[in-house]
Amino acid sequence: MNDLSPSRQPVPPHPANAARIGIGGPVGSGKTALIEALLPVFQRRGISVAVVTNDLVTAEDAERLRRSGIIDPARVLAVEAGACPHTVIREDPTLNILAADELDARFPGLELVIIESGGDNLASTFSLDLVDWWIFVIDVAGGGDIPRKRGPGVLQCDLLVVNKVDLAPHVGVDLDAMLEEARAVRGGSPLLATACRAGINIEAVADAICAAVLIRR
Amino acid sequence: MDASALLLALRFGDTAFPSGGFAFSQGLEGLGAVSGARPDTDAIAGFLTEQVRHRWGSAERVTLVQCHRGDGDLDAIAALDHDLDLSSFSEPLRLGARRNGAALLATHLRLGTPGAAAYRARVADGAAPGTLAAVQGLLWRASGLDEASAALLAGYQLVTGGLTAATRLGLIGALGAQQAMPALLATVAAVCAEPVASDAEPVGFSPFSDIAAARQARLPLRLFSN
Repeated sequence: MNDLSPSRQPVPPHPANAARIGIGGPVGSGKTALIEALLPVFQRRGISVAVVTNDLVTAEDAERLRRSGIIDPARVLAVEAGACPHTVIREDPTLNILAADELDARFPGLELVIIESGGDNLASTFSLDLVDWWIFVIDVAGGGDIPRKRGPGVLQCDLLVVNKVDLAPHVGVDLDAMLEEARAVRGGSPLLATACRAGINIEAVADAICAAVLIRR
Repeated sequence: MDASALLLALRFGDTAFPSGGFAFSQGLEGLGAVSGARPDTDAIAGFLTEQVRHRWGSAERVTLVQCHRGDGDLDAIAALDHDLDLSSFSEPLRLGARRNGAALLATHLRLGTPGAAAYRARVADGAAPGTLAAVQGLLWRASGLDEASAALLAGYQLVTGGLTAATRLGLIGALGAQQAMPALLATVAAVCAEPVASDAEPVGFSPFSDIAAARQARLPLRLFSN
């Protein structure tokens, strides 16, 4: 456990008020960067948000968000994944459920809990016991052939985000072909191309989240 | 053991049952930092044997059995829960037991196990620490698991959890873990054969494990919660 861990006592029995979404994807694809880009958008829209991170061996992502100045540090909890980033979001999401319950109880009026998975591979998927809706993030620098590999994460997520599109010309990726393949393997399910660092299409991702789980927004 | 009891024990002992236990190494992740060397199979088996004999067997198991006998008497169970919590010297192990207990409670709350909601409320109010052993005794009794099976199951989970953690840490292979398991399970069986008196108190003493857990808590890179 660490200073960012949830408290060791369960919170009072409490209906889950806040919507819970997952953000998964391979290491370095930009999951934390996407959250960093989304938080100011939600803040401008007046949406109350908290975050649970699942760092693999450190609390680095949680620390990064807490120190970013864009969210109250108390609204960021870190859950250890026990070397099993798949398990903690799918087969046994109990510790993440506990963390989300704690945030729900700690912040009345909380509307959205973002659960960021540890960096993983294309087989990573979220349990619907844990989240209402989830995003999978891949990036062009990881290779233009990622959609063609048809990983469960790419196929099953509610929204596929293809990040770092501004890097495509620098890493030899045909972006149009990559996006076309992604649309084809997903059978037309939602997809957005982003560049989190450049702020490209972040509003569109926020719109998709709001439309999916924050209807009144 | 009849078929239904065996199947119930298999259900609760299976990693398919969500309890959060996979994220806890009970200090094993800190073993290398204590010994100064990469732990081998003998070191891992020795670590787990100490835990089974001198911590779990004489402390957690006692509380589990007595809470099982409590048969849903939440006041009595909370008192036993407090005793175990207070008797746990190691902070990482003590807090890990609470958090692991909270995770098991959260699952049983959603499954509607009798007593889960009421005990979770007590823990939330600070009226009980909610250690894993106390929660196991309460919930497994409420689920229909007999006392002997409950104790054996908890011991089995301690051993398999430790060996699985060692496997994930790359200290031992899955086959090596299975080679170490028979002797460890024999230790669990021997410990569980010792009766638990109604007035027995939890008296765990496993300083090496406590030191390993303390070292684990200070590791810059950690995979496990404790």
